[in-house]
Amino acid sequence: MARTIVPIGPQHPLLKEPIAFQIVVEGEQVTDSTMRMGYVHRGIERLCQERTYIQNLYLLERVCGICSHVHAVTYCRGVESLLGLEVPLRATYLRALLCELERIHSHLLWLGMLARNIGLDTIFMYAWRDREIVLDIMEALSGGRVSHAINTIGGVRQDITPMQREVIWGQLDKLDQQVSRLLRVVEHERSLQARTRGVGHLSLEQVRRYCVVGPIARASGLDVDLRRDEPRPPYDRLNFDVVTHTAGDVWARTLVRMQETLVSVQLCREILRTMPDGPIAVSARRRVPPGEAISRSEAPRGELFYYIRSDGSDRPARVKIRTPTLPSLLSLQIQLKAITIADISVILSGVDLCIACADR
Amino acid sequence: MSTWFRILIFPGFAFLFIAALAFEWIDRRMIARFQGRIGPPWYQPLADLIKLLAKEDIVPEGTNKFAAAALPILSLTAVLTASLYVPVGGIKGASFEGDLIIVLFLLSLPALAYFLAGWVSSSIYSLLGGHRSLLQYFSYEVPFLMAVACPAILSDSWSITRIVSFQAQTAWHALMQPLAFVLALVGLIGKLKRDPLDIPKAKSEVVAGPLTDYSGRKLALWHLTMTMQTVLGIFLLVNLFFGESRFFNPMPALPIFGLKAAAILVALSTASALYARLRIDQLMDLGWRILAPLALLQMLVTLWIAN
Repeated sequence: MARTIVPIGPQHPLLKEPIAFQIVVEGEQVTDSTMRMGYVHRGIERLCQERTYIQNLYLLERVCGICSHVHAVTYCRGVESLLGLEVPLRATYLRALLCELERIHSHLLWLGMLARNIGLDTIFMYAWRDREIVLDIMEALSGGRVSHAINTIGGVRQDITPMQREVIWGQLDKLDQQVSRLLRVVEHERSLQARTRGVGHLSLEQVRRYCVVGPIARASGLDVDLRRDEPRPPYDRLNFDVVTHTAGDVWARTLVRMQETLVSVQLCREILRTMPDGPIAVSARRRVPPGEAISRSEAPRGELFYYIRSDGSDRPARVKIRTPTLPSLLSLQIQLKAITIADISVILSGVDLCIACADR
Repeated sequence: MSTWFRILIFPGFAFLFIAALAFEWIDRRMIARFQGRIGPPWYQPLADLIKLLAKEDIVPEGTNKFAAAALPILSLTAVLTASLYVPVGGIKGASFEGDLIIVLFLLSLPALAYFLAGWVSSSIYSLLGGHRSLLQYFSYEVPFLMAVACPAILSDSWSITRIVSFQAQTAWHALMQPLAFVLALVGLIGKLKRDPLDIPKAKSEVVAGPLTDYSGRKLALWHLTMTMQTVLGIFLLVNLFFGESRFFNPMPALPIFGLKAAAILVALSTASALYARLRIDQLMDLGWRILAPLALLQMLVTLWIAN
């Protein structure tokens, strides 16, 4: 069979964001692939140097359309450590609440995308319908469904009222019920397993070599989770399990993400139950003393890394963002080998790419 | 009724056209309900068709223009011709001993045209989709033909009308040979390239398969062919497996026929909503390792009963 090159992207029904793959196929067999990215590069890191620390908050929230909040939180923590600020405990709880909601929202969105790409539209519709509950909670909390603008340097800008708490509590129950049902369906759906088992396999050693993080690493048996490994308030006061599986294929990633969603719902409940009273922000100076800071968070896709350097002015001298999608993209090189064309959609869905994050 | 009325109006082209639109609407509506959506209004299939007919018709460079135009017309013609021999509630356009074979032949012509549409196109996705459609054809067609042959063997006739009336004396073929009915249903899903066997046109893999480069009127004709083929395939299964029955004897034949057809449509829609798409190698496995041996088994049992 002749060698042919199948272009996937920059525009393709499979992709939700622009990235280009050139897949070399012989018949239905994939033999090689190359990748080109940068279609949504917006120069955000450079723009950060042009704006003040406060303005950057709103810019960095727009790095990603799914995990917008965790970007802002990670940036805030970096700046706060440069300023030597002690953030009030209640503010950390509120930040964590939105982080966990964002994780649920991201994982449900991902499940929908995977299901749609293997032709299981029913699960896609259900997952995205249940995701609406999370978006409603987020809207109630911050006024925004995707961009929340709730962070500020030194804390958060909006508090949660007792009435909101009651409403959210009820919606979390509904969410728990729906996600559990979805998990049961996914666990028993044999046609879904037929498409995802054994596809996109990454061994523990490969995960280590490519520095893959997040749910993909956990699906290969690497027990990493920054919420537990680098404990800081409020996660050092909360009880939660880190979900790991050992199979290392897309099926294991599905299970990891779905079970993590349930863990996150539990975490949201615990955060709401144990949230202490007190102020939600401390005032911060406009000018940041010279120095360097790094800040890491467990974003829905894995470790998010921020490096911030200050030269003493009210603008950062350098902001560097390393997103969890980057190592996933590199690991595609080995995942997209010895497979059929039909597996490409499963593998690309399975790694949960966030191209906007990676391109910045 | 004059012959022309039967060919052009009922149960011929006009009826088939309306039934195709109605069935497409019921199908879409039902899948939407399964998925927690509302679904389109009743005129949506017609509106889609008119919209496509009115749109610009682009044929990309490198595509064989004559073949690209001829293939949808050929497949629509084949489906319309086949409709003459498929009775609806006992009313038929034409009939002769052996018309089942003609219908099966005419219904597999669109599959060939579909493959050729991918072959003459310059798009790599069309080529891949065409390749897949041929592989899929080889997987489902053999079990489908064997399953459909079972009622014919039992009725000792290759005329659809005779098979229908034969069941009035005994029982529905679906009751006497349920395995054949299930196999024919699976085969029909493959033939119609419906979810979960929409492998040749899997959106996330080969964009739209052989029809990737089609637009405007030609695409409308393709869609019409597919929906008419759906209706015709369902009518064929109703005739072969749920023919005349003594229980429904005093009742009018047409509404009963409609109900039976709707029941099969429900089965198809449910399968669409329930299962993920198979990979082409998984379909080959299913077709040759499971469906074909089962069809052979059913055929042997049928031969044994017939003797």
